[in-house]
Amino acid sequence: MLEIKNLHVKLADEDKVILKGLTLTVPKGEVHAIMGPNGSGKSTLAYVLAGREGYEVTDGDILWNGESIIEMEPDERAAKGVFLAFQYPMEIPGVAGLTFLRTATNAVRKKRELTEMTTPEFMKFVKEKAAKLNIDFEMLKRPVNVGFSGGEKKRSEILQMAMLEPTLCVLDETDSGLDIDALKVVSDGVNALRGPDRAMLVITHYQRLLNHIVPDKVHVLADGRIQKTGGKELALELEKSGYAEFTGKAA
Amino acid sequence: MTVQMLSTKAEQAILASFEANAAKLPGGAAVAALRRAAIGAFASKGLPSRRVEEFKYTDLKANVKDVLPLATGGGTGDAATSLGAHFGPEFAANAVVFADGRGVAAKAGVTCLADTLGNAPDWVAAALADAELSASSDLLLNTALFSDGAVIDIAAGAEVAEPIVIVATATDNAMTALRHVIRVGAGAKATIVEIERAPEGSGARQSSALTQIAIGDGAEVVHIKVVETHKGSLHLSHWQVNLGANVTYKPFQMTLGEGLARNGLNVLFNGQHSTFDYGAASIVHGTGHADSSLIVDHKVPHCTSRELFKTVLDGQARAVFQGRVIVRPNAQKTDGKQMAQALMLSPDAEFDSKPELEIYADDVVCGHGSTAAEIDPDLVFYCTSRGIPTAVARGLLIESFIGEAIDKVEHEGLREALGGIARDSLTA
Repeated sequence: MLEIKNLHVKLADEDKVILKGLTLTVPKGEVHAIMGPNGSGKSTLAYVLAGREGYEVTDGDILWNGESIIEMEPDERAAKGVFLAFQYPMEIPGVAGLTFLRTATNAVRKKRELTEMTTPEFMKFVKEKAAKLNIDFEMLKRPVNVGFSGGEKKRSEILQMAMLEPTLCVLDETDSGLDIDALKVVSDGVNALRGPDRAMLVITHYQRLLNHIVPDKVHVLADGRIQKTGGKELALELEKSGYAEFTGKAA
Repeated sequence: MTVQMLSTKAEQAILASFEANAAKLPGGAAVAALRRAAIGAFASKGLPSRRVEEFKYTDLKANVKDVLPLATGGGTGDAATSLGAHFGPEFAANAVVFADGRGVAAKAGVTCLADTLGNAPDWVAAALADAELSASSDLLLNTALFSDGAVIDIAAGAEVAEPIVIVATATDNAMTALRHVIRVGAGAKATIVEIERAPEGSGARQSSALTQIAIGDGAEVVHIKVVETHKGSLHLSHWQVNLGANVTYKPFQMTLGEGLARNGLNVLFNGQHSTFDYGAASIVHGTGHADSSLIVDHKVPHCTSRELFKTVLDGQARAVFQGRVIVRPNAQKTDGKQMAQALMLSPDAEFDSKPELEIYADDVVCGHGSTAAEIDPDLVFYCTSRGIPTAVARGLLIESFIGEAIDKVEHEGLREALGGIARDSLTA
């Protein structure tokens, strides 16, 4: 279970406060959506969960399975099952996709006290997962994300997610830059990972992703706090009424 | 031209060393006269200082304080142990080893210069006397002092399948000077690898290696150099390259360690439709200093030159890249591109990058770029968010940076050996 308690976050090298007492609980087996206007702190929440530098937690805590993760390095969090699918996946020139996947998969397995995969085991595993996401295996021989289209990058993120078998999946604007076909492939990939042991936090600006990845709960994030929580129908309401109600309240 | 008075202790010691060793150095009267003329010219020029443009960032006059005794042989070395861990036995079998300035392990197809000097073939004698070499005092010094070197003559049309490997080793506290003279006949194919060994733990040494290579029409040559340095070592390398027409010449130079190394490379396009495709990777540690200074002379039309220089610097290490590209007035349709990139692992590291494009023709495509950057923290975060520990992530990113240059080496065994050497140096 993910428990975010009264989380206050500011930028490390500026006085700008972004999250102002965010409280949220996502039980295992559930998918929660976070919706909100631009600048509400959605991406900050995603980065703080994954442990990116540049943010300072000034108050509150983040517990994953009862354990505080805010002091952990990103790789420790990954070993504990935290995975962030980036809004803008990064390109790593010179590192082949397969090398990257194998290094990551085995690093995580090692920390989880599982045996590292041999080359044939790894190749079988990656081929199987890539095929499900319509990813051309040849693409994985190229440097990570270099020259990939927006859709290819997002599928590559979901492939990494499938390979690392996380238990807390945070998807940051996974629908941005996707056409309708790519959206379906990516959503199917995410839905395939839904399960009783996995919690998911789907961050999105628009409702359309939630037609494909149907959430158990929808939270509205504005001005650094959860302003409203409801069922999946809340997303449809927001699509009609917009975020004005919440930004107005915030002001 | 002004005549500079000898001023440094080192320069005086070099002249004294020449006088003491002249009688022992190989060669007949003609070579002796060549040496005498070279040391005379050196005496008036002195060691190159920062006022000499090619040595702007590597001031030998200021840096060379002591001169080590000249070694002219007597060392031992065998290819199997001299090559280092990453070159397999298949390379050892093809290696010619020079220990303390004298060939000790020969191979078919390679003659030791010292053995042929008494009766040198005309092309070798002409190469030794090449006027181009009298321009710079580091080269004059090599002419005055060289004690041996490899003579390689590849016949027209020959395809030499295995790389020819030249290894130079030296005992501590010695100065050595080697001269390699190479001729590749028209249409021939060959790979030549030079390795300057200074393994971890060795002491002070000073070495000079001057390679002259003339490549005939239509030939394809891969030419690799690995320079190991360590604290207290000085290596001066220079390649003087003459290309015929329709030649493909692919040099690759790797410099590693904490010593002082300079890799000069002058390439002259003498025939049309030739390609010069240069790659370099240097990994400089601590107080090390590695200089690569190129002069690419497009004398004729329709030639292509490519340079990719990459360096990783830590501590107070310093790398220099000078890429001078001359496009002569009639060298139309020249296609020249240059890129120099440094990855700075420390705020005290320094990268001096100086592209110099001198273009006198009007129908050419020439470009250059240069970057110096730290490891991108966003990329490190991306890797660590996937469970890769920070140190491993940084290693992966550094390796990929330098790997882009190493990937230019097409020979799989050599590419893997170079990759292994780079990895060892990066984790040292």
